[in-house]
Amino acid sequence: MTPPAAPTEFRKATFRPSPGRKVAFLNPRDHRRSLGSRALLGLGVGVVLVFTLFPVWLMVSTAFNGRANAGSRSLWPEDWTLDNFAFVIGEGGFGRYLTNSLLVALGTVLAGALLALLAAVAVARFRFRFRTSVLVMILIIQMVPVEALVIPLFIQARSLGVLDSLVGLVVVYLAFSLPFAIWTLRGFVASVPVELEEAAYLDGASWGRMFWSVLLPLVAPGLVATSVFSFITAWNEFIFALTFMADQDNYTVAVGLRRFFGQYGTDWGALMAGSTLITIPVMVFFVIAQKRLTDGLVAGAVKG
Amino acid sequence: MTDVVTTLRERTRPGRGAATAGPRPGRSRRGGTRALRPWLLLAPALLVMGGLLLYPLVRVVAISLQDFGLRQLVSGRTNWVGLDNYVELLGNADLWRTVLPNTVVFAVVAVALTVVVGTLVALLLVRLQPVTRGIVTTAIMLAWAIPAVTGTYVWVFLFSPGDGLAVQALDALGLADAATANPFASRVSFYGVATLNVVHHGFPFVALTVLAGLLTVPQEITEAAIVDGAGAWRRFWSVTFPMLRPVFAVVTVLSTIWDFKVFTQIYLMPGGDGVNRGVLNLGTWSYVESFAQNRYGLGAAIAVLLTVLLLLITVAYLRLLFKEDEL
Repeated sequence: MTPPAAPTEFRKATFRPSPGRKVAFLNPRDHRRSLGSRALLGLGVGVVLVFTLFPVWLMVSTAFNGRANAGSRSLWPEDWTLDNFAFVIGEGGFGRYLTNSLLVALGTVLAGALLALLAAVAVARFRFRFRTSVLVMILIIQMVPVEALVIPLFIQARSLGVLDSLVGLVVVYLAFSLPFAIWTLRGFVASVPVELEEAAYLDGASWGRMFWSVLLPLVAPGLVATSVFSFITAWNEFIFALTFMADQDNYTVAVGLRRFFGQYGTDWGALMAGSTLITIPVMVFFVIAQKRLTDGLVAGAVKG
Repeated sequence: MTDVVTTLRERTRPGRGAATAGPRPGRSRRGGTRALRPWLLLAPALLVMGGLLLYPLVRVVAISLQDFGLRQLVSGRTNWVGLDNYVELLGNADLWRTVLPNTVVFAVVAVALTVVVGTLVALLLVRLQPVTRGIVTTAIMLAWAIPAVTGTYVWVFLFSPGDGLAVQALDALGLADAATANPFASRVSFYGVATLNVVHHGFPFVALTVLAGLLTVPQEITEAAIVDGAGAWRRFWSVTFPMLRPVFAVVTVLSTIWDFKVFTQIYLMPGGDGVNRGVLNLGTWSYVESFAQNRYGLGAAIAVLLTVLLLLITVAYLRLLFKEDEL
């Protein structure tokens, strides 16, 4: 389904014209659109907004609802309060869980960025034996279900005595985030014109100097994007945190949240307050990364 | 969830990385280090991935060939039993009557809904003005950003027996009796709620990827189709869909992989942690068998079965991805 083999840049220039032109064509007020179809579009927007945001709204409003535990089930807090948040952070021990999650996520991000960048440069800038095999392996290994890894890694960690340690979690999450980070960064490294590197060499720079002064600043945006996703991977991970952490003091947020969820009595106010605390950093990061992400998506789809 | 972004991205640069990677003329004086350098750069990452992804994969197969219980866990002794675990697994009626249907039917339904909803949203987005599109896109990103753990709790809250808002709404519509209805008790309604959860979490990826594809469909072609009198339905199936077939293939296969190995969203629902054996899927069954029953051997065999199924889907994915391009 590939359109005629024109170079990517050329096709981009041809088929993705100036925003102005596209807007004119797709403008709902375009003469081709009737009143009915405009109403339909409005309805569609409404449905999508409600479906996407309703769970978010319900979570936040319940977190602020002082009567959530007294059986209040409403879309609007009956009694605005911060009590639920105060409870989860204080008595609920959520401050501790947030600290643990933050440490684990930051450790994963820092180690992951370094290792992924080195590996990405290797696969993007060098041609060597088994290069394709390495790439295919990295791609395939992402598909391995965590359920298959958690059993051997639990047994291994148990015999090594590294269960219940935050460092152990960092190492595991590092492994999980690396394949995606390498693939993403590889694209960013490959898009840096090799002429810039050559210029650095001509100026007498060593490979190390070129890497530090030319390549690194240019792939920094990619590094930010992959770091955001490594952070989210570590922050959201559930199975390993659940399996490895026995001591409550070592819980991460995803596991700590379970304390408020009981088979019989669930403290919904606290559960939703905790959920809100977990979700907000991820949402902030997602919106930060959105631009780069959609850019990547658009670039990726040009091929289409 | 996001790996397609990269892979799609890669596809736009056919062989670009490779093309620039050849040895540069005039720099052969450091031939020895040049050959070694990529491996030095790769070594730390390969070590971590090898030790924590590849080696455990070998280990899980080894464990699946053992009778591995609490005693073996404590003593560290091994007790090889050959294919006994697989014989027990494949002879287990639960596998065929409960677990496999749960896994496969859920994945098929969830993937179909995710792709259809995502495509419809993308078709909506492409018709919006930039400002409205920006707002809706941000809302979609927010839905995508909800962690699986918290998202699941919100859906459980909505459907909690008796007083959940959704249960109340169904009661008001006369579709359920709020006093007695327990959406988590029966397999179908349990997975119905799980499907809502997974589609809500999964459609943003499809919508944004397909939108990106739609924006690249040459307007000349769409205009020509309009001039020829093609309606919206006809235009989608005769112009848009064939042009975006690779995009649809990728989002479908990736969604299939994600929905096949769904764990957190099932495990955190009431009864999903093994209490209600009727709602187990391959992932939760493997986990429960291992960590609740201490039957690590059987759990590993289930995990191997899941991995093999996923690998088959992955092979299909790779074939779609690299049919045309070199890596």
